[in-house]
Amino acid sequence: MSKRSRRPQARKPAPPKLDLSDLAAEDAAVDSTPTDDQSDEFVAPVWQHDLLSVEPDPVDERQLKALMSTWRRGRATKRLSQVLQDGYVAVFSVIVILAMLGGAVWRAQGNASACESTTCQVGRTLLPWVMLCAAFSLTLVCARIFGPVVASAAEGFWLMDAPIRRARLLRRRLIGVLVAVALGATAMGALLAALTGYDPPRIVQWAAALGLGAAGLTAFSALEQTFARTWLIKLVQWLSGLSAFVALATITAVAAGWVDLTFDDWGSNQIVIAVALVGAVLLLVFGLAATLRLDQIHRARLVSGGSLVSGMQGAMFAMDLGLMRDILVARESMAKGHVRPTYGVGRGLSALVWREVQRLYRYPKRLVLWFVSLGVPFAVGALGLRTFSPFISALVLLIAFVPLLGSLRVVTRTRGLIRGLPFSNPQIRIALSAVAAFLALLWSVIAFTAFYGLGQPVTSFSSAATTSVLTAAAGLLAAVRWVTAKSADYSNPMMQVGFGAMPPGLMFNLIKGIDIVVVVTGPLLLGWSHWISVFIVGVVIFALSGRFNTEEMQQMQAELQKEKAAQKSGGPRKVIAPPKR
Amino acid sequence: MSKPRTPVLKVSHLTKAYGPHVIVKDFSLEVFGGEAVALTGRNGAGKSTILRCLVGADRPDSGLIEVCGEKLRESSPTIRRHLATVIDDLDFFPDLSVVEHLDLLARAHGLPDCETAVDAVLHEVALVAQSGQLPDTLSSGQRRRLALATAFVRPRQLLVLDEPEQRLDVEGVEWLAQRLKAERDQGLAIVMASHEPSLVERVATKTVRIQERP
Repeated sequence: MSKRSRRPQARKPAPPKLDLSDLAAEDAAVDSTPTDDQSDEFVAPVWQHDLLSVEPDPVDERQLKALMSTWRRGRATKRLSQVLQDGYVAVFSVIVILAMLGGAVWRAQGNASACESTTCQVGRTLLPWVMLCAAFSLTLVCARIFGPVVASAAEGFWLMDAPIRRARLLRRRLIGVLVAVALGATAMGALLAALTGYDPPRIVQWAAALGLGAAGLTAFSALEQTFARTWLIKLVQWLSGLSAFVALATITAVAAGWVDLTFDDWGSNQIVIAVALVGAVLLLVFGLAATLRLDQIHRARLVSGGSLVSGMQGAMFAMDLGLMRDILVARESMAKGHVRPTYGVGRGLSALVWREVQRLYRYPKRLVLWFVSLGVPFAVGALGLRTFSPFISALVLLIAFVPLLGSLRVVTRTRGLIRGLPFSNPQIRIALSAVAAFLALLWSVIAFTAFYGLGQPVTSFSSAATTSVLTAAAGLLAAVRWVTAKSADYSNPMMQVGFGAMPPGLMFNLIKGIDIVVVVTGPLLLGWSHWISVFIVGVVIFALSGRFNTEEMQQMQAELQKEKAAQKSGGPRKVIAPPKR
Repeated sequence: MSKPRTPVLKVSHLTKAYGPHVIVKDFSLEVFGGEAVALTGRNGAGKSTILRCLVGADRPDSGLIEVCGEKLRESSPTIRRHLATVIDDLDFFPDLSVVEHLDLLARAHGLPDCETAVDAVLHEVALVAQSGQLPDTLSSGQRRRLALATAFVRPRQLLVLDEPEQRLDVEGVEWLAQRLKAERDQGLAIVMASHEPSLVERVATKTVRIQERP
């Protein structure tokens, strides 16, 4: 027998110590041992480390966490201060933009607080409640979709299966989420109260109510996550959303003169303080309970939220909000999994339109935002900001129409599906936007009263009608632009900016859709002729319909240039016959 | 004297490069109805690039492609009516079920008896049990079957397939070979890239080996 085959038997059993460096040395020693007989058959080395009888030392989760942080820091190539120094132009630009926004908020607050009519007072009292309930609903949606406690795929694979106390790893993460939500919601609450025209003490109250309330609801979601339950979160989410809708409908009714209401300012104040206190209690009780039960969260639930976060982060770095929405839609469809199939209606293009109608029937939830958007011009008018109504309403419509244009998004993001449909691109775009266009028209009819002013007309009939239609068109076209815009192209030459190289179009990704709202409603805000906006709408429709195919135009241009080059290099020349006399 | 046949697909002097790297150079091909051309060759030889150019997903640097006598333009409704494709850029509506995808395509193409046609294809690709499932929940093999079904549920004169056997099980490859052979015999023109010798052997009337360019 060769030394190689004898060697393991001659050795004493290795001590049960789990040390990776020892194992590597051991393997190397086995491989490099010279053999007497080279023709001897290979015999696999016998594994010396009996892991079954190993008593592992208890793991210190904190040390493990510290080790992971060290690795992460070790891979960083720049400090945050260095990044900010490199991008001082961008940082300066952000500061200037924030200052401008601050100024705009200050002015808006002045306008809002100056309005003393009954409608304004009702609006000032109720609109913050609309926003508060909507923010709570949004908080619960986000908490439910993401986790709120998450772990990355790597952590899920390497750590969550290990014999460690998950709670010790996840505790700081939960606290981080709660703090982030509280800070974000507080800032939002302060902004909201400032825009409403409240004085500083009430701004503080509203900020506290929104911050503590949102954090409390996130803690509640975290506790539900430990029980792997979602129905209770969904129930609270819908109740909160419904409250927002009722408050908005009340503002609309008061603004339209359908009901006559007055609110006790003192009572509203007390409720705000109560919300803040309840939020604080929820945060403490549910936060503590969730912390104690963190070990119970399933690994799959932690990792799925983490993978969603990483996907969203990737899309966010590319500033591609469309991709972020695609990720959420794909996740939602995976969660749903199965539907009751229905056969379509019609033939040709009408089949596409009818399928959109069937989609709406199947997913009526997509209409919720559209319903909400109906109250926006009334609410904005109630706050005394009637001039800004077309702009704000069109922005809300942009958000409301995006879920209704899902099919258009799918056929424009990849070309495989659209290639299978025997129609031109403009035909397909129009067919897939038809239902949304009908809803836009319906919106303009219903919202007309808000622009015209019920009881006491504030403008002419034709002006109100045109404004209403143009606002709806702006919202719809902005949504179409949002879903059909191409992502930033990383294959083209980059532009040099403060932070380094950036693909062209990356910055525009963030404002896509909003640009349409600005150019269409801008003339209305400035009091210019409505015909300017009508003309802009015409141009935008032409550009978005897909008739303006830049790729095909580039191709034609390239072919023309090739022909010219061939002619210059002595290729076949066209001889122009002299005119006959 | 009989009228000369028009090729369903005519490719003349196709050249495509990515940057300085020329992938396809001076590639020409004619495919008539009832013919099946298989493109074979090693990975990276340029088979998929040729197919992407043929369906209009990529634009060739030079050369001419005609489908049924019309110059290829991806957005042309006539070309879209004649050309069915299964290449790697097929996407699905996340909120439509398997059967609804097929139904939509059949109706869009104006098929007279859509429901029967859809049911037949659904049985053929063995996706009856998954008919109500949303595409994101399908396995990779089932998604491949659905992709193939989208090509078979609609009228077509030219079928372009990029490695159609991918992710199919043994029975699936067997079915695919039978189906493509039957389609070819009925007069359909087929161009496909494949690494599956049995599929190429049974379906192709002509095999074009694409050599990797140095």
